[in-house]
Amino acid sequence: MTSSPTHLMIEARGVQKWYPNGYHALRGVDLSVHRGEVVVVMGPSGSGKSTFIRTFNALEDFQEGSIRIDGINLGNDLRQIDAIRREVGMVFQQFNLFPHLTVLDNLVLAPTLVRGRSRTEVQAQALSLLDRVGIKEQAQKFPGQLSGGQQQRVAIARALCMEPRILLFDEPTSALDPEMVREVLDVMRQLAQEDITMVVVTHEVKFAEQVAHRVVLMAEGNVVEEAPPAQFFKNPKHERTRRFLDQIL
Amino acid sequence: MNPLLRRLRSDLFATPADGALSLGLIALITAVAVGLLQWATQRAQWAVIQANSTLFAVGRYPGDQQWRLWLLTALLTAVTGVTWGLLRCHPRADRDGTLWPRNDRLVLGLLVVVVLWLPGALQLTPALQIRWSLLAALLAASRWLAGRFGSKLSRPMLRLFPLVWPLIYLIGMVLISGGLGLMPVSPSQWGGLLLTLLTASFAILLCFPMGVLLALGRRSDLPLLRWISVIYIEFIRGAPLITLLFLGQNILGFLLPGGFAPDRIWRAAWVLTFFAAAYLAEAVRSGLASVPKGQMEAARSLGLSYPQTLVRVVLPQALRVALPAMVGQFISLLQDTTLLSLIGLLELLGVARTVMANPAFLGHSAEVYLTLALLFWSCCAALGLGSRALEKRLDPQTLSRSSSQP
Repeated sequence: MTSSPTHLMIEARGVQKWYPNGYHALRGVDLSVHRGEVVVVMGPSGSGKSTFIRTFNALEDFQEGSIRIDGINLGNDLRQIDAIRREVGMVFQQFNLFPHLTVLDNLVLAPTLVRGRSRTEVQAQALSLLDRVGIKEQAQKFPGQLSGGQQQRVAIARALCMEPRILLFDEPTSALDPEMVREVLDVMRQLAQEDITMVVVTHEVKFAEQVAHRVVLMAEGNVVEEAPPAQFFKNPKHERTRRFLDQIL
Repeated sequence: MNPLLRRLRSDLFATPADGALSLGLIALITAVAVGLLQWATQRAQWAVIQANSTLFAVGRYPGDQQWRLWLLTALLTAVTGVTWGLLRCHPRADRDGTLWPRNDRLVLGLLVVVVLWLPGALQLTPALQIRWSLLAALLAASRWLAGRFGSKLSRPMLRLFPLVWPLIYLIGMVLISGGLGLMPVSPSQWGGLLLTLLTASFAILLCFPMGVLLALGRRSDLPLLRWISVIYIEFIRGAPLITLLFLGQNILGFLLPGGFAPDRIWRAAWVLTFFAAAYLAEAVRSGLASVPKGQMEAARSLGLSYPQTLVRVVLPQALRVALPAMVGQFISLLQDTTLLSLIGLLELLGVARTVMANPAFLGHSAEVYLTLALLFWSCCAALGLGSRALEKRLDPQTLSRSSSQP
C-alpha cells in the first residue's frame, strides 16, 4: 500500500442506510479521510454521525453506496470485514471494557488471539501502553475498580494494542463526569501528534479547535459542511452550521 | 455492659414486642430441638441404618469388588484437596489471599470431627472406621501439600489442571463398571448413594454443554436452528419428568445409537440429561441476555471472530450471571433422581423402600427417611456452598465495593 501524503484511508461514497423499521438514517454521505488526518464529526443527536462511523468497521451495515478502508472495499465478504476490523480500532462511549478480565488481560486478549502473538511480548507492549496513558499501576485490577476516566484510557490503550491504522472515537467523553473529561482528551491529543488516522465524534469544541485538521458537520443523515476548524467555528458557510454552533457555543 | 449482652439486647429485645416474639421463638426452637433429640437418642432404632449401611451406600455392588469404590473415593478426595489448596495459593490477580482463611480451618475441623464421630456413633466395623479416618487424613494432607507447594507449578500446568476432573470421571466409570482387566459389574448391581450420585453427576456434566448450545441456538439468526431449539425446550419443559422417564425406557433404545443406552439405568440417566438441559438452556439464556450488546461490539471491533467472542467474552460473563440459577437446576436434578425409584431402579429412595419392606425393620421408616433427607441435604449444601464460593471468585464487582477507589 502506498503512503503518499494524499493516500486515502477512508473513502465513503453516497452511503445510504435504512434501519429495519424504515428509518432513513444515512442519506448519501460522502467523506474522505487522508492518512494521519484527525477529523472531528459534530452534529445534533440523531444526525447519524455515530451510525456513520460505525459503518467503517461494519458494526452497522448499509444498503447503498460504497466504503473503502485503506483501499479495501467494505462489502459482504466476511474475511474482508475481519481484515478491516484488525486495522480499525474503536473507542466507545460506554468504554465496553471486558469486566471479567484484568486491565492487562483486556489489552492482551485480542493481539494474542487475532494476531497470534506471544503473550509475553504483548504483555510488555501492553504495559508500556498503559504507562503512556498513565495507568500502569492499575494493570492487575479489574475495570469495575477504576474510575470512568481511567476506564476510557484503558479502552484507548486496548484499541492501540492491536496497532490499528485508523482509530474511531464514538463520543468518548460523553459518559464521563466533567472532571474526568480532560484526562481522556489529553491522551487523545497526544495520539493526534502521531501518524495514526483518527475520526472523532464528539461535542468537545475546544478539542476540535486545537486538534482537528478538519471538522465535519452532519445533520439529518448528511454531511452539511466540511472545513478546517478555524473556518468552521469562526466563519461557517452554511446556515445549518450556524444554527448548530449557536446552540452549543 | 458486656458487649455480648448489649448485642443480644439490641438484636432480640429492642422493644417489648420484639422481646415477646423472641421469647416465643426461642421456646418453639427449644421444644422442637429437645423433642427431636429425645426421639433420636431414646426412641429411634438406628439398627436399621447400621445393618444396611452398605446397601444404602452402594446397593448390591459385589462385596469383593468394593475396593474399587474405595479407591475411587480416595482419588476424589485427593483431587478435591489438591484443587482446594491450589485455589487458595493462587488467589485472584487483584487480591491477596491467605493460605488458611478462617472458614477453611473451620470446614476442615468440622469434617474431621464428623468423620471421627459418625462411624463410631453408627457402630460401623473398625475396618470402615479406619478407612474413613484415612480419607479425612488424605483430604487434609493433599490440601496442605497443594497449598504449600502449589505456587511452584508453572502456568501451563495450572491451566491444564482442571482437566483432571473429567479424567477422574472416566477413571471412575471404569472402576465402577469394570473392563480394562477389571471384573465387569453390571449396572443392575449398582445402587444406593452410588447410583444417585452417578446418574446425577452424569446428567449434570452432560446437560451443561447441551443447555449452553440450546440457549445459543434459541438466540441464533438461523431460523431452523432457532425453531428446533425453541420446540425442544418448550416440549421438554411442558412434560412431567416421570412421563418422560417411562417414555425414555421405551423409545431411547431406538433413538440413541446402540452403545449409548444399553440398559434401564443409562436410559434413565439420558432422560434426566435431556430434561435438565431444557431448563438449563433457559437459565443460560437469561445470562446471555444480561451481557450488554457493547461487549460483543467491542470484541468484534478488536477483530475477534464470532466463536472467539462467544468463548472469551460473552459466555464467561453470561455463565457467571446464570450460575445461581444453574446450580438451582443441578440441585433439583439431584433430587429428581429419586423418581428413578418409580421405574424400579434401586437408587437411595429405591433402596430405602426395599429396606423398609423387610419385616425385620417394620415401623422404622422415620429413621430411614431422616437419614435420606440428611444425605440429600449434605449433597445439595455442598453444591450450594461450592457455587457461592465460585460466584464470589468470579465476581468482578465484589472488590470494587470493598477496595479503596484510587
